[in-house]
Amino acid sequence: MHGMASYFIRRLALVPVTFACITFLVYAIMRLAPGGPIEQARLQMLASQAEGGGGGGDISQTGETTLPKEALEQLRKFYKLDKPIFIGYLVWLGLYPDEHKEGRFSGILQGDFGTSYRWNDPVLDTIVSKFPISIYFGLIGYLATWIVCIPLGVFKALKHRSVFDTATSILVFIGYSIPGFVAALALMLLFATDNFGMNWFPLGNFRSENWDAMWAKGETWWCIKDQLSHTFIPLIAYMMAGFATMTILMKNSLLDNLGADYVRTAFAKGLSERRVVFLHALRNSLIPICVGIGGAIGLLFAGSFLIEKTCNIPGMGLLGYNSLIVRDYPVLMGILTFGVLIRLVGNILSDIVLALVDPRVRFS
Amino acid sequence: MGTLGTAIYLAVVFVGGWWLTTRGIPKAAAGIGRRLGFRMRMTPITAKRIQRFKRIKRGYWSFLFLSITFVISLFLELIVNHRPLAIGFKGRVAFPAVEEWAGKALFFLPISSFHSRKDFGQAGENEVDYAFFRKCIENPDALRPEIRKAEEKMRRAEKRFKRLSPPGKDASEFQRERYARRKAAYEKRKGQYETVLAARKDFESGEAWILPTLYPFSPNKVRTDIEERPPNSPSLELGIPLGTTTSGRDVLVLLLYGYRISVAFALIVAFVGYFVGILVGGIQGYFGGWVDILSQRFVEIWGSIPFLFTIMLIGSLMTPNFLMLAVLMIVLRSWLGITFYVRGEFYREKAKDYVQAAIGAGVSDWKIIVKHILPNAMVPVVTFAPFGIVAYIGSLVSLDYLGFGLPPGTPSWGALLRMGLENVKFHPYLVTVPVVALSLTLFMVVMVGEAVREAFDPKVFSRLR
Repeated sequence: MHGMASYFIRRLALVPVTFACITFLVYAIMRLAPGGPIEQARLQMLASQAEGGGGGGDISQTGETTLPKEALEQLRKFYKLDKPIFIGYLVWLGLYPDEHKEGRFSGILQGDFGTSYRWNDPVLDTIVSKFPISIYFGLIGYLATWIVCIPLGVFKALKHRSVFDTATSILVFIGYSIPGFVAALALMLLFATDNFGMNWFPLGNFRSENWDAMWAKGETWWCIKDQLSHTFIPLIAYMMAGFATMTILMKNSLLDNLGADYVRTAFAKGLSERRVVFLHALRNSLIPICVGIGGAIGLLFAGSFLIEKTCNIPGMGLLGYNSLIVRDYPVLMGILTFGVLIRLVGNILSDIVLALVDPRVRFS
Repeated sequence: MGTLGTAIYLAVVFVGGWWLTTRGIPKAAAGIGRRLGFRMRMTPITAKRIQRFKRIKRGYWSFLFLSITFVISLFLELIVNHRPLAIGFKGRVAFPAVEEWAGKALFFLPISSFHSRKDFGQAGENEVDYAFFRKCIENPDALRPEIRKAEEKMRRAEKRFKRLSPPGKDASEFQRERYARRKAAYEKRKGQYETVLAARKDFESGEAWILPTLYPFSPNKVRTDIEERPPNSPSLELGIPLGTTTSGRDVLVLLLYGYRISVAFALIVAFVGYFVGILVGGIQGYFGGWVDILSQRFVEIWGSIPFLFTIMLIGSLMTPNFLMLAVLMIVLRSWLGITFYVRGEFYREKAKDYVQAAIGAGVSDWKIIVKHILPNAMVPVVTFAPFGIVAYIGSLVSLDYLGFGLPPGTPSWGALLRMGLENVKFHPYLVTVPVVALSLTLFMVVMVGEAVREAFDPKVFSRLR
């Protein structure tokens, strides 16, 4: 175990390095790029001026609004753009005193993710408030994939090269080739509009608008039904991603094991086929599938830009999408931080799980 | 163009595409390879694998279909274009579509497909209105309103001009200039009127001819021939087999041009990415040691960058064009995945006797990597390529769908899908068409990939009972 322990310690030691590299890269891109927060503020100001003075004011006069130099300087300071990129990054990280906080260290290391440029809310709160939706879809999608894929994979392996196998293979390949959001779009067209006379599900959104009111009224049954009908289409879309790989992995893994020597031995000593397959072979062939468990930590942060945009679900993905459009850098950095950390830790967790369930595996 | 002409055109397109794909391009590539000093001899095992691939019909036919349609789509300007293949007017002959195609294919040469209206019997200096030209050939009376308009404009200019008397000796600078200006305007209008008037005779006497493309519409041209307000549902009677977009562009044209962009993007990203990935993986596996450890760490860190997020971030800051997007995709993603496999293969191969013998004989490292090991380490590359292409087509579509991809106006499937999402309630065909096209294409690529995997890396399962 000694070699393995040092392996995992080394892996863990690499996490901060990787994390720093990625966040710095993205931070630098944001800082270097044109059209930052000041530009956004100017555009907003312009828009409000145009609206306010629409009565007959000469808009063309305000077309080239130039802020006074002092104000610009103040804005730069407010958005922390007055420091060099590297210092700014260290402030964000919390390794350099922050002038705005009376020279205290206040960065993500201290748990301060800053405030959103756009909404003026603390970034951490904004992100945490999206966790329930992520967990909701993440967990249901994850479980549903397992519940469908493992039996399907096992069955396909047992009926290898049968009609059932070929037919479901085609299904699996279709699932593999269609991206989730495209599937969501197609399902919405089929089952959420009147075009094909099958308007069974709502067109997007996480819940109906009056959900909270109904919940308060105690209409629990209606609420559950409403929630479930809103869940169906995005859930299928989320399942598309892992469905094909997981089924094929399960099938091939079981087929591999069914050809192994220990299965031959088990048959030779007269065990029933049922016992051999489900007690001996299946246990071993679940190992590659178990590796995915480490990624389950990603449930906290599930939420695809594409599917949430398509189905209009106000989760992590849509938050990221909207923040990208309005250049809400603190929120974007916050999302990036969580995303990268969860992925890195998830990878290591996967390896640990693999080492735990499969004693043959040795990392060094 | 009659039915026979169309049939011949179609036959030329498909037979030409088939010939180029199965004979022309492979032969040319082999010829160039020979010139560059590569000896193209198939090892028996490769020949066997290719035989096996051909025997898997669904994969092989998908491969043929995809490659032939892609090769044909490289000539799309000659097939689907509002500019005609050839146009003649009073002895002046031009080949606008051919010029446009050549200008794109040989982008380093300044080839212009622009032809002025005045050379083709139309009023003005802009580009010829080819659709109108075609209409005039069918029925020269179509020119009547045009003539009337030109005449009216001429009369108006004439009136304004005649109102002035020629400036005398003591006329001011301003008067002189105004006189000259109005005179020029009048002469211009008069010239235009005469052109149009004369054109009518030329159209009547059959001195004008045009050879339009198969489907004479372009991706960035609004279908002005449809009178109803866009979006128009598909209708064969109106000549819009797949309908028009909300801005009136032809969906079929966008779909075809979008196919070319998507597939070309995926091919470029996959090939360049694999080239870099093989190089890096080969060096890692061959040299090992510190080179390997350091570059492995780098690959690990680089691979942890959320690439779609980063590309979207960059895409939101500036509008990347096709090439920039491809480069971003290669740098951030496509070279990474293959390095692990190639590295592993190189590790394995390096320990074998033939490599050790080559090292012992003093063959240079570079030569061993490229000539000895690489051909034996290609299996993972070949089997992963189709799935890579699926992923890159998907990525481009996703980026365009979210609006962070190719510049607006580019014919792209992602943009069509977004338009579909916005119109899902009332214009279902805007969803159906791109969804079906994308799904079918990706499905066929997956079929190819499955067949290639089966042929190159067959898994034989023995089953006991």
